[in-house]
Amino acid sequence: MSETQRPKSVGARVQRLEDPRLLAGRGRFTDDHRAPDTLHLAFRRSEEAHARILAIDTATAAAMPGVVAVFTAADLAGEIRPVRAESRMRDYYATEFVALATNKVRYVGEAIAVVAAESRYLAEDAAAEIEVDFESLPPLGDTDAALAEGAALLHEEAASNVIARREFARGEVEEAFFAAPHRVGGRFRMHRKTPAAIENRAYRAEFDPGRGHLTVHSATQVPGLIRDALAEILDLPGSRLRVVAGDVGGGFGGKASLYPEEVVVAALARRLEATVKWTGDRLEDLTTTSQAFDEVVEAELAFDGAGRLLGLTAEVVGDVGAYSIYPWTASLEPVQVISFLPGPYRLPAYRGAVRAVATNKPPMGPYRGVGRPVSVFVMERLIDMAASKLGLDPVEMRRRNLVAADEFPYRAGSGLMWDRSGFHECLEAAVAEIDYAGRRAAQSAGPGADGRLIGIGVASYAELTGIGSRISAAPGMPINTGTETATIQLDSTGAVRAAFGIASHGQGLETTLAQVIADELGVAPDAVEIVQGDSAAVPHGTGTYASRSTVLAGGAAILSARGLRERIVQVAALLFEAAADDVEITDGIVAVAGTDRRMSFRELAKAFYSEMGRLPREVRDELALEVTRVYDPFFGTTTSATHIAVVAVDPETCEVEVLDYAVAEDCGRVINPAIVDGQVHGGVAQGIGAALFEEVRHDADGQCLTGSFVDYVVPSAAEIPAISVTHVESVLPATEGGFRGMGEGGTIGATGAIANAVTDALRPLDIDIMELPVTPERLFRLIQNAKINAKTKERDET
Amino acid sequence: MKPPPFDYARPESLEEALDLLARHGDEAKLLAGGQSLMAMLNFRLLAPAILVDINRLDRLAGIEEGDGRLSIGALTRHHALETSDLVAERLPVLHAAMGHVAHLAIRNRGTVGGSLAHADPAAELPAMMCLLDATLRVAGPAGTREISVHDFFTGALETALGDDEILLGIDLPSLPPGTAWGFEEFSRRAGDFALAGVAVLVEPTGAVRLALLGVDETPVRARAAEAELARGALSDAAVGQAVEALRAEISPLDDLHAGADYRRHLAGVLTTRALAAARARLA
Repeated sequence: MSETQRPKSVGARVQRLEDPRLLAGRGRFTDDHRAPDTLHLAFRRSEEAHARILAIDTATAAAMPGVVAVFTAADLAGEIRPVRAESRMRDYYATEFVALATNKVRYVGEAIAVVAAESRYLAEDAAAEIEVDFESLPPLGDTDAALAEGAALLHEEAASNVIARREFARGEVEEAFFAAPHRVGGRFRMHRKTPAAIENRAYRAEFDPGRGHLTVHSATQVPGLIRDALAEILDLPGSRLRVVAGDVGGGFGGKASLYPEEVVVAALARRLEATVKWTGDRLEDLTTTSQAFDEVVEAELAFDGAGRLLGLTAEVVGDVGAYSIYPWTASLEPVQVISFLPGPYRLPAYRGAVRAVATNKPPMGPYRGVGRPVSVFVMERLIDMAASKLGLDPVEMRRRNLVAADEFPYRAGSGLMWDRSGFHECLEAAVAEIDYAGRRAAQSAGPGADGRLIGIGVASYAELTGIGSRISAAPGMPINTGTETATIQLDSTGAVRAAFGIASHGQGLETTLAQVIADELGVAPDAVEIVQGDSAAVPHGTGTYASRSTVLAGGAAILSARGLRERIVQVAALLFEAAADDVEITDGIVAVAGTDRRMSFRELAKAFYSEMGRLPREVRDELALEVTRVYDPFFGTTTSATHIAVVAVDPETCEVEVLDYAVAEDCGRVINPAIVDGQVHGGVAQGIGAALFEEVRHDADGQCLTGSFVDYVVPSAAEIPAISVTHVESVLPATEGGFRGMGEGGTIGATGAIANAVTDALRPLDIDIMELPVTPERLFRLIQNAKINAKTKERDET
Repeated sequence: MKPPPFDYARPESLEEALDLLARHGDEAKLLAGGQSLMAMLNFRLLAPAILVDINRLDRLAGIEEGDGRLSIGALTRHHALETSDLVAERLPVLHAAMGHVAHLAIRNRGTVGGSLAHADPAAELPAMMCLLDATLRVAGPAGTREISVHDFFTGALETALGDDEILLGIDLPSLPPGTAWGFEEFSRRAGDFALAGVAVLVEPTGAVRLALLGVDETPVRARAAEAELARGALSDAAVGQAVEALRAEISPLDDLHAGADYRRHLAGVLTTRALAAARARLA
């Protein structure tokens, strides 16, 4: 069979290879390992948002039943070396990573002391008996409090509560605004969100005192990063420190950082020479896992009478919480807001400035979309506000401003470079899919019999995915996140094993990478064993985040699989005494074209490794059946999409129902459409959560008010509509394989689409959605105010 | 989120259960479906010395009809009520409300008695009892007594039930044939506690009953609104006046999900809709 006739796995809806295990309850999650003699940890956490620790009394706790040991920061001073989330960024202060609070606590829930006991129950009983003597300090409940004249300092050494600043500028902004006939703008607010993965964070460490080996099982997205960090913190060589992320039940960014509990579990396993485990509960997850999207954006857009964009300005204040998260830094989320604000549009002048402000809240960290759900909310609202001002249809407004095919590569106002991506193609595909014209016609007929107002909202965006080594995934972070390694081997039993540094935690990478390798090698996907989520799998790896794994690991997989195939072909040629060009591989069978000479991978491997005399002796070295390649896409590539949401708003109950939702996205070559659909569905659900439901709330004293799923409202299946996904492959990018990343896009587009749809529905009431999530309570107040304003206007006019 | 230590007893008889309560007083907590209690224990909001598990008291479960009333045992699971043909036929308004009680998994375990004794003002069952003029049967050390539902709910999560008493069940008087009903509630997600909810009954005589949940410290029978509606024979004007009246007679609380003003507004909207549904059923 020729190359073109061979059935391809890439592009097919291959069923997820990990699903039989996961769906039958046979996955192995960190908490599933229940070895006897495991010590369970419980943390004494701060009930104060901002306070000095005067004294800690652990005596009562230490004497309680089942308690093995109690530790404070002072007890572990010699075992935990300090680290900081460094950045080359100017105007940035790197707070110290704090495993257990020392002289100060900075958010409610911060760990102060830890109990190791025979069970979690006993550990919690004892933790409750640890007495902490606090001297309360003024709480910085939000950025206004932290920025106020004379505000208390969260980190005295930083000399300011503003711990990062950044500005991007391009073009003549002042001139553009001065000359512009039209402007729209305002103050946009997006509230704090938490990732809320189904599996809480969990860590379990085993220490082998004879060998001095420490193995940390971590529910993490980034075992490689954690291994490197722990090696520094615990002063251990990587050869004696292994970090394994087995099955992980979602992360969404919340499991992409180093956590205090992770460091404490690892340090105590070594200190106590025992297996030590901590599994976070939901209260701990909702109060201590990194949070995101907590920003205020003052933005203004200038445009001409034809709707052409002329300039954009934005001032962003990000509430980054108490610490600069390791290793991404506190600048990650807020800087992304201004990096991506110009969106997929032709925009000659831009200035975006951001301040990252420390407050007494849990640290801000990466969360699916990182900053971009906020930029898209703001920019897409501005585009609709501009369209409305000119009486243009929102789709037409976008048609006039999206970067066109012949303008790529296009440098955005923040300096980002867009390679060719289907900006217009996605817009048109989404418009067709949702029957936009039909919807508008139906909408113009007025509200239905139930009195609900129908709204249609469009959002287009572009994001940078699969970022290579040219820039780090976080601003100025001195850690290379731009390469990925694949080692593929054919072992002596004829089995194919491919090892990576990525860490799948729901993305289906065990399937998509197997599909990629299957096509290169000429085997079925389920014949490829994917090894990932283990720092020992390859010499260097970081993990899975930033929509990178398919692009980077997929590229490395292609390169190494090709190399291995070449060697297998050469070995076969020697064994068959045939020309290498005549050897072909199909379904794991190696054959000489046009003959009946064939052998399985197993037979070939046996001949290669075990059967003496079948091959010249130097061949076993020269054609060693293991190939390692490192892939670095250097720049990364642009993924783009248009989302269109149709909502119904009940102006009486203030309920918003999402009726319909269409996504058209260009993620380059689609490896597995079912997996892309699933990723988009999940992302959109989280974006709808951000737009309508989810909000981490703290009171002015920094107490968390949303400590359970009763109060932190995640949408359930009942609140999420059917979502149609159209895959647009415009022009394949220059990445190996033509893949673009697509794990985050669903969330990125949804905030803007929902905000625009709700605004569109409320047009009769003249309401602009400027704050997300738009909860029923907020909508009620907006509608009440609109009614009062309408009355005032009416009175003034008469 | 592990409960503090507690002792556990699983009595085989009502007498044994009452005896345990008599001995431990307010140190004891009854465990039935556990759908609220276990969560509160895990948050360490409660630290009872002993849990008295009454799940073995089978005779407290069941739905029976007789003597012009429907009797529902305290240990009857929400799901049994939701799927009871008898309830659907005799008290369709209760049947409709049950579908709004939390999620199926919770309805499978949660009990009628547990919900009433827990007395969450945003829960459906307490309001439904107020609507249906229930009588609660209670056993204590001195024997059994009956409490009118209108005397039962004394505050948020507070009832007239003594520490040494066990709720045995409820009696719901039959409704006059031809009684029309309406039920409306609004919650942020399917299965959440309602931000507000309304149940109405319109009897063929023109008498109207109106009960609300989620709009005060206890479930509310809106007597002033009922009077407006009866007087005005459910006319649009009467509905408007009733809404005005009930907005004055409730005192909604501010919480994370809804402020008092919004809840008061919502109570009116839902009342109007529930009455419209009832009127449609009358016609």
